[in-house]
Amino acid sequence: MNAAAAPLRLALIGNPNSGKTALFNLLTGSRQKVANYAGVTVERKEGRLVAPSGRQYAVLDLPGAYSLHPASLDEAIARDVCRGFYPGEPAPDALVCVVDATNLRLHLRFVLELREIGKPMIVALNMADAARRRGIAIDVDALQRELGVPVVETVAVRSGGAKALVEALDRMDLAAAPTKPLSEHHGAGAEAASAQDLHAETRRLLALAVTMPRRTARIDDALDRWLLHPVFGLFALAAVMFLIFQAVYAWATPVMDGIDAGTAALGEWIGATLPEGPLNSLLVDGIIAGVGGVIVFLPQILILFAFILALEESGYLPRAAFLLDRMMAAAGLSGRSFIPLLSSFACAIPGIMATRSIQDPRDRLATIMVAPLMTCSARLPVYALLIGAFIPQQKVGLLGINVFNLQGLVLFALYAAGILSALAVSWVMKKWRRDKSEHALLLELPSYRLPHPRDLLIGLYERAMIFLKRVGGIILALTILLWFLLSFPAAPPDAVGPAIDYSFAGRIGHAMTAVFAPVGFNWQICIALIPGMAAREVAVSSLATVYALSAADDDAAAQALSPLIADGWSLATALSLLVWFIYAPQCISTLATIRRETNSWKQVAISAGYLFALAYLASFVTYQVAVALGAG
Amino acid sequence: MSASLLLQYVAIGVAVLASAVFVIKRQFPNTVLRMRIACALSLVREGRPAWLRALGKRIAPPASIAEAGACGGCDSCETPSRS
Repeated sequence: MNAAAAPLRLALIGNPNSGKTALFNLLTGSRQKVANYAGVTVERKEGRLVAPSGRQYAVLDLPGAYSLHPASLDEAIARDVCRGFYPGEPAPDALVCVVDATNLRLHLRFVLELREIGKPMIVALNMADAARRRGIAIDVDALQRELGVPVVETVAVRSGGAKALVEALDRMDLAAAPTKPLSEHHGAGAEAASAQDLHAETRRLLALAVTMPRRTARIDDALDRWLLHPVFGLFALAAVMFLIFQAVYAWATPVMDGIDAGTAALGEWIGATLPEGPLNSLLVDGIIAGVGGVIVFLPQILILFAFILALEESGYLPRAAFLLDRMMAAAGLSGRSFIPLLSSFACAIPGIMATRSIQDPRDRLATIMVAPLMTCSARLPVYALLIGAFIPQQKVGLLGINVFNLQGLVLFALYAAGILSALAVSWVMKKWRRDKSEHALLLELPSYRLPHPRDLLIGLYERAMIFLKRVGGIILALTILLWFLLSFPAAPPDAVGPAIDYSFAGRIGHAMTAVFAPVGFNWQICIALIPGMAAREVAVSSLATVYALSAADDDAAAQALSPLIADGWSLATALSLLVWFIYAPQCISTLATIRRETNSWKQVAISAGYLFALAYLASFVTYQVAVALGAG
Repeated sequence: MSASLLLQYVAIGVAVLASAVFVIKRQFPNTVLRMRIACALSLVREGRPAWLRALGKRIAPPASIAEAGACGGCDSCETPSRS
C-alpha cells in the first residue's frame, strides 16, 4: 500500500465513561457496546471514517484511563497505544481527547497530561447537551486558547453530533503539536507535570472557562439519598432484581406458547410431507425438535436483557457496586469486581475480559475464577425447561396475598444461588491465601440517565441476533451430530431393547451412568452433558432430540420436551440437574478465555476442576436429600 | 437400496460432515490454525508437484488470521480478536 494513501490513525482517548465508544460508533458506524458506567471498553477497537473532504481515518477506540500512570491493564493498553509502545500497533497520528462536559473538574486533568505527549490533539467536549441542560456554561474559545489545542462540542448519542469534530479533524494540521506545555504557565521545569501542578492548572482553567451552578445534578442527589442508603438502597436493589425475574416468567409465556405451537406444527407438517426415512427423522426428531426446543426461550432471554440494558443505560449499576462493596470485600472481592461479574450474566467471556479494569492481580484472579458461577444467558433455557416441567405455574405470597409467580421465584433463587456460591468461593480463596488486605473502592458514579428507547431496541435486536446465530450455528451443528450419533449404528436384527440403546451415543450415555447415577442422572441426561460443553443451551436441544428418537410412536415424538421430562424424571433428578447447572460445565470458550487472560494452564485446570467437583458434590447432596425426603 | 434412500443418506452425510467441520473450527480455532499451517508448510516444500504446492497455498491461513489469537468465543463480544 502506498504510504501516502494510508489512512490517518486517530486515537479516541479520555477518562472512563466519557462517551468514547459512543463517539466511536457514531464516527465509524460500528455497534460496539456502550453503557453508563466506567470500564465497558477494556481493549482497543478499530474502525474506519471517511470525512466529507475525502480524508480517511483509522479510528482507534481505547479503554478509558484516568492518567498516563496506569493502575490497571486496560489503562496500560491506553497509555501504550497513545505513546506508540503497544506491540504491533503503529503510534496514532493524532489524539481525540474525549471529555465529559458535565464533569470537567475530573476530565480536564487528563487532557493536560495528554497534551504533554506532544501529539496533535483535539478535545471533544462530549455530552455538551447534558451540560447545557444542567446550566453548565463552557467558554469553548477561552478553553481552546488556554489549552492551545482545538476544542469542539460533541453529542455522541445524537445523529450528526460529531459534525464539528469531523470538520475540526479536516482542518487539523498534523505537523502541529500542542504549543502550550504545562510548564509554560507555571515555570516549574521538570516538575511541571506533577500531580499538584495538574490540579492547579485544572482549577485555573475551570475558573477561566467554565461556569457551573452545582457540582452535581439535583436529581442525582435526590435519587442517591435513597438508592445509596445502606438499608433502603439494598431493599431497592433486591426489589429491582426480584421484579426482573418475575417479569421473565409473567410476560414471556404467551409468546413462548406461540413459538412452541409454531415449531410443533412445522414438525408435523414436515413429518407428514416427507417420505418416512432417515432424512425425515433428521429434520423432525433432530433439527426441529432440538433447535425448536431452544428457540422457544428467546422471549425470556430478551425480557431479561431489556432490564439489564435499561439498568446499564440508567447509571444505576455503579451504585449497586457501591452498595455491595462491603459484602464483596468480606468475601474477598472488591466493588470493582461487580461490573465484570455483572457482564458474566450475559456470558462469562466478556465478564472475564472486563476484569482487566481490576488493579489488584489477586482480586482480578479471584474474579476470573468466580465469574463462571454467574448465571450466563446460555443457562436460562436449561433452567426455564426444568422449572416449566417441575414447578407449578401458580401465584404465591404472604398473608394470603398471592402476587408472586412461583416459577419466577425459583428462577430468582437459582440466580441468587450462583451469586452466593461465587461469594462463598471467593471467601474460601481469600482464606486459602491468608489474604487480610482490603482494597478501598474508588468508583465514579455517573449521572442518572433515562434509557433511550432506540438504544434499548438496538441492544435487544443485537441480543436476539446473537442468540439466533448461536441457534443457527453451533446449536444446529451439534444437534445434527448428536442425531447422527443417536441414530447409528442401527440396532441388530436380534435386538431386544430400543434401537437408540445400540447407537454410539446410547452406548456412551449408558457407560456414563456409572459415574452419574449417584447424582440421579439417567443416560439421556448424561448424553446431553457432552455437547453442553460447547454451548450450554445445547443440553436442551440434545434432550429434545434424545427423547424424540426414543419415543415409541410419532405422537409421542411430536410431544414438547417439557411434559416428557415431567413424566419421565423424578423431582430429585430435576433438582439435581438444576443444581448441576449452577456450577458446571463451563463451556470450552470460557476455559480458552481464562487461559488467555491468566496466561496459565494451571488456572484453567483449577477453574474447571473446582467447578466440576462443586457441581458433582452439590448435585449429589441435593439428589440424596431429595430422595430421602420422598421426592425420588 | 432405492435411489431415494441413497439420496437421503448422501444429504445426511454432507450435513454431518459440515457440522463436524463447523464445530471443530468453532471450538478449537487455534488447533485448526496450527494444523492448516503444518499441512500448508509440508505441501509447499521445494520439490513438490505444482498442484500440491497450489493446494498448500489454498490451505494456508491468511496472514491476518495467522496473527490473531482467537478465543473461540461465545458470539457475545463482537470485538476483533486481536486486542
